[in-house]
This record gives sequence, structure tokens and C-alpha cells, in this order.
Amino acid sequence: MNRRALYAAAVAAAVLVVGAVLTPGLASWPGLRAVLVVASFTGFVAAGQMLVVLVGGIDLSIPWVLNAAAIVLTTTSLGASGRLPLALALAIGAGLAAGLVNGLGIAWLGVPAVVMTLGMNGVLQGLTLGLSQGLTCDDCGHYAPSPLRDLFAGTVPAALLVWLGVALLVTVLLRLTVFGRRVYATGVNPRAAFLSGVGVKGVTVALYTLSGGFAALAGIMLVGYGGQASLGLGDPYLFESIAAVVVGGVSILGGRGDYVGVVAGSLTLVAVTTVLRAQQVPEHGRLMIYGLVILAILFAYGRERAHD
Amino acid sequence: MTVEATGIHRAFGGVQALRDASFAARPGEIHALAGENGAGKSTLIKVLCGVLRADAGSVAVRGRVATAFQELSLLPDLTVAENLLLAAPPRGRLGLVRRGHLTAEASRVLALYGVSEIDPRSPARDLSVSQRQVVELVRVLATEPDVVFLDEPTAALAEREVDWLAGHMRRLRDAGACVVFTSHRWREIERLADRVTVFRNGTHVATRERLTEDEAVTLMTGRTLDATYPDVSGIEAGEKALTVTGLTSGHLRDVSFDLRRGEILGVGGLAGQGQRDLFLTLFGARRPVAGRLLVGQAERSFRRPADAVRAGIAYVPEDRKAEGLLLPLSIRDNIALTTLARRSRAGFIRRRAEKAEISGVAAKLAIGAGRATSQAAGTLSGGNQQKTVMARWLLADADVYLLYDVTRGVDAATKHDIYHLIAGLARSGKAVLFHSSETEEIAHLCHRVLVLREGRIAAELAGPVGDAEQIVAASIRESADA
Repeated sequence: MNRRALYAAAVAAAVLVVGAVLTPGLASWPGLRAVLVVASFTGFVAAGQMLVVLVGGIDLSIPWVLNAAAIVLTTTSLGASGRLPLALALAIGAGLAAGLVNGLGIAWLGVPAVVMTLGMNGVLQGLTLGLSQGLTCDDCGHYAPSPLRDLFAGTVPAALLVWLGVALLVTVLLRLTVFGRRVYATGVNPRAAFLSGVGVKGVTVALYTLSGGFAALAGIMLVGYGGQASLGLGDPYLFESIAAVVVGGVSILGGRGDYVGVVAGSLTLVAVTTVLRAQQVPEHGRLMIYGLVILAILFAYGRERAHD
Repeated sequence: MTVEATGIHRAFGGVQALRDASFAARPGEIHALAGENGAGKSTLIKVLCGVLRADAGSVAVRGRVATAFQELSLLPDLTVAENLLLAAPPRGRLGLVRRGHLTAEASRVLALYGVSEIDPRSPARDLSVSQRQVVELVRVLATEPDVVFLDEPTAALAEREVDWLAGHMRRLRDAGACVVFTSHRWREIERLADRVTVFRNGTHVATRERLTEDEAVTLMTGRTLDATYPDVSGIEAGEKALTVTGLTSGHLRDVSFDLRRGEILGVGGLAGQGQRDLFLTLFGARRPVAGRLLVGQAERSFRRPADAVRAGIAYVPEDRKAEGLLLPLSIRDNIALTTLARRSRAGFIRRRAEKAEISGVAAKLAIGAGRATSQAAGTLSGGNQQKTVMARWLLADADVYLLYDVTRGVDAATKHDIYHLIAGLARSGKAVLFHSSETEEIAHLCHRVLVLREGRIAAELAGPVGDAEQIVAASIRESADA
């Protein structure tokens, strides 16, 4: 495992320990559980973001892919448990489809990733607002079916097990499979990978598709957590996903990084916010400290490379 | 002494690149720096010109210094003119760059150094490797330095351009400058150098005015090598492995030939006559405009290299750092890349099988002298890096090997290993298409030689040709007649 993933884990632990000293409630399991649950949403979107960053790409369509999936879920299930499987399939399918289109545009049409995914974000925002008519219809019942809400109940919420599953899946995919090797090869040097017989375009499309799927998963989980979908639900998660990826030690240039680091990155971000909130630092102060903590961590990574 | 360094130590991580190294060069001499890959030549030059700081020792260099580094440093998106005049562009009254004067000024500089075939307006990325090297050298020469360091200046150059560079090196020397260069081609060192310094394992071994190639190889490697080129004349050619008809692609025009199993077919000619397009097209990395390709008996059309790999074709590129290796990844990952699917079950890599197979081939080729295959490929010396790329394709067990300038910038001992590897491939019934910027290699190693000129096959010579002059003559005959 790479060294930066350990650093990120150490920072997350340190922030939580400091938080526990300052705010005794945080040291309890309910306190910690709350941090973990909130961190899981960042963890889901960051899983997709990491996959595309590993090949030197970026996915800016995460906010509205997430939001669209959330609204697809509530509007097709209408809060009824019986319709949940279909609604889940549609929501995840919508995310994968958006990711697939992103990937095809980037790999085959050569559209720069920033432009392609930003465009996709805009298109989905328009589509979602238009079709949902701004969620103004009163009797539509945009509520989460109860099995989804139950994911967040209990001493160990099932949502955390979903996150654990995602972590295992991504780690196994990247570290133990042929596909994973091809991902790192493509990220390190696409030309050399191409000339070694790696289907670079296929790898790229698969990764953007997965990123769309993970964004949709985050949308679904947020609906379960909040009980309903709202517009603008995904807005914080663009910055969060990128921050978790870089704090987690993934090279923004591609070819280097693990999901373990990203999990640590997600925890760090949420821990910082939680501690600041518990200290009743006002909003503007929170934002500034939050930004400074991220910069400090990245600065430390920059120093580390200078020593190599 | 214009250049004097004593007791230099320099380490990268745990690797000691220079240990107690010393070097001295006088004004008015051409001084060659010889040694295998990893001997510390490039590091020494970087320390001498101040790019790297020594961990210990003293360096004294007197006069204006200019350096051409081994890694080309042109900015790919700027034009030739902008690159040439990057340090001191023509300026107007407000200190702004006078863009209108750039091209004219660059043309003047290029003409002054006898370079006519490079358009100063074209972006550097559109130039061939050899043209980029020429621009880089003109940029260095144009500063009229007192001390000039040239690290592997001829690795990317064809014969004619080497002559051009030799002329300028001599002119600088005669004007009293100190010229230090490195090269893996002994003929150039013999021809140009007034003195030769040999490095081995990061330290000075000898400085001589006269040195034969055999002595030099012994000094560089610490051992003696048998006859340089293996004998390939006894290998029987088998059935056709590759049949190319009317291939047109990039610079290539209507090229037809066939290649048999057990045959090493050379592709010669001056640099930039379509050799690269031929190799890339056969490997599916470039789509042909016209032409047919039979692999064995089957007609094929490749849309990407992965198709060519499946059809049993291997390609070892010239630029191992940019096109061959994944430098931060392990030696094992690099070797395994092309054959991953073969050692997998349901998409999962069988790690034990992988480790065994990769360690086997790495040991067979003596990659990194017994170093663990879990180390990053970037820590290997140039020769070992090239062997790593070769190992990847040996594992692929292809029928046709396309070897494009595989000995470029590789030390004598590794070159020797690679020659024997190529002969071994032919002997085991593989078909080999071989291009090298060193015509000498093509002359000695190939059963047959195709000479390309302006994208067409200008001559076919039966081999082993033995005499590089014949190939060179065929490369330029038409232009000499005209």
C-alpha cells in the first residue's frame, strides 16, 4: 500500500482524537457512527472520482448524476417498498448510462474530460429540473421507501456495510484483477499501455461508467438518509469527491493511489467539519479552516515528493 | 584545465550514481566520456554543468557553459523558432517579444549552422526525433560556449547528421572551446575524440589519448566480450509470416515485401524515410491509407495494437521511456502487462504463477543483476530498461517481432546481449523485422535489407551485407545522382 494512504489514515485518526478531547460526545459509538455515515456518502462519490483520476481524468458530472438518480428513485418508487427494486435498477441504470456517455465522448470523440463531464452535469441538471418540474407537485410523494430508510437504523447501520462492500469491491478490482493492472498502466503512461496491447479506450469508458454508477449509489443512499430527494442534493459532492481523492493520496496526474487512502480522506474531511461544528465555529470560519486543513495536507505531500 | 572535478559523490535514494569520481578536460579538445548505462556519465554531466549538486567533492568550470541533455528538452507545443530563441528572443522597445522577427531570426540561426530542411514555423511536436535533436543542438551551439557538454548527442541522429555535428564540434574545438560528449558508438568516439575518459560503476577508470574498442569495452565492463555480432547465416528461412502488399501510410508509399519465419529482415535508409510509419502501421498503431497485410495465410486489418498482439505480432519501440515502460510501476508489472490475461482466472490474476513466470524471464535476461522484480522499472539503467521491454514481448511468444531501434542509447554489453537475443528469436523460428539508427547493426545482423527512401523501397540487399557503406550508398544514391 502506498505511504500516502497511511498518512491520510493518520490525519483522520488525529483529527478524530482531537475532536474527542474537545467534544466528549464524539468519542462514543453514536458520535463516531454519525461521522462514519456522513463520510460514507463522500466515500461513494469519491470511489468513482478516484477511478477516473487514476487514468488522469476527472468527473465533474457527479453532482447532477447523483441528484438525477435520487429523483429517479423517489419518483419511480413513490415511497412504496414494492417498487423499490425497479426504482433502484432505474436509478443505478441512469447513473451508469450518464457515465457511459461521458466515457464514450472522452475516449472515442476525444472531448476533454473537463468539458465532457461539465456538459453532462449541465444537461442532467436541465433534464432533472424540467422533468421534475422543480419538485413542486404536492401529491407525488417524493419519499424514500422504508427499506431504504432502514439502512440507517440500528447500532451498526447497514449503510456502513454497503460502504465496506464498496471498499472491498474497488480494492479487489484494482489490486487483484487484470482490469486493475490495465487501469494503473493506462494512468501511468497511456501511450506505452496502448502500445503494449492494452485497450486504453475500453478501460477509460469502463471507469467513467463506474463513476456514474457510484454517483447514483450516493444519491440513493442520501435519499434513504434524508428520507426524500431535493434539488441541489449533490452540490457539495463535487468538491468533496475531489478533495477526498487528493487528500487520500491519489495522484491527480494518474497512475497512483488506493481506495484505502480515499476512505481515510473522506473520514478526514467529515471529521474536520464535525469537530468544527461541535466547537460552534461559525460557517465562514469553518469553510476557511476546512480549506486550510486540505491545503496543509497537500503541502505535506508536496514536501514528501521533494525528499524522494 | 577548463573543467575539473574531484572526489564527486552523488546518490539518488539508495543508489550511488557517482563515487569519488574525478574528471578533467582542457580548452581546445574534444573529450569523450565513455561507459556503460548506469556508469554515471549523465549524472557527471549534470553535476559539471550545475543542474545537480554533488553530495561531496569539488567542481570547477571556467567560461560560458552550454549543455545538450540526453532527454530532449524542447517544448512540444512551441514552434522551432520559439524553442530556438527561448532564452533570448528578439525584443521590441517595451521589452515585448517581436513575434514577426522570430521566424526570420530563427531561419538565420538555422542557416548559419547549415540546417535547411527544418521549418522554423512548425511546432516541435511535429518533428522527428532526429530533427528535434538537431534543433536542440543548434540551440546549444548558437550560444557559442567556451565549454559544451553533449550527452548522447548522436543517439537520435542518422549518419549524415552525425557528420554535420562532428563538423561543428571540431570548429568549436579549433576556436579553443572545450567539448565533452558521451556516445555508445565507438566509431564516433574514435573519429572525434582527442581524449577518452572511461567510467565504470560511477567512478573514473582511465583517461587515454589512444584506446582501441576492445580495450575500451574491457575497461567499461571489466570483462572481455566475444565477437560482437552473432552469426546468423546458418538460420533456415521457413514459411511466410508476413506478406505486405502496396502499403501506403504516413510517409510510406506503396511498400510490398514479405518476411519469413527464421528471417531477420533489416529496414534501413536515412532517418525519417517512413521506417517508423511502417512499424507502427504493421502493429496497428496507425491506420494505413491503402494496402493489404497477410499474417501467415490470413488477411488482417488492425484497428489497434491489441488486435496485432492477438494476431501474434510484437513491437519494441525506440523510445522506451515514452512508449515502452511504465516507469513508476514494478519491473514485474511492466513485463506482465501484455500477457496478463494468460495468467488469469475469471479476470483475477494468478499471482503465484505470475511471480514464477516473470522471475524466470527476468533471470534469463539478467535484468537488473538479480534485483527484485518488485522494484520500480524507473530505477533500472537504460540497458536494463530495454531488456525489461524485450522480456515483456518474449513472454508474449509472438510469431513476428518488430524491433525498432532497440539498441539506441544502450551500453555495449547489453547491445551484445540483445544481438544474441535477436539471433535466438530467428533460430527458434520467429520472424524479425529490424530497424536501427546504427546502419552497422543492420549490415551485420540481417539476412536481407530493405532500404527505404522517401517512403518507398529503394533497394533490397541480400545479406548479411557486412559493409554498412553499401546500405548508406543505397540510401542516398538517387539524391547523389540528381
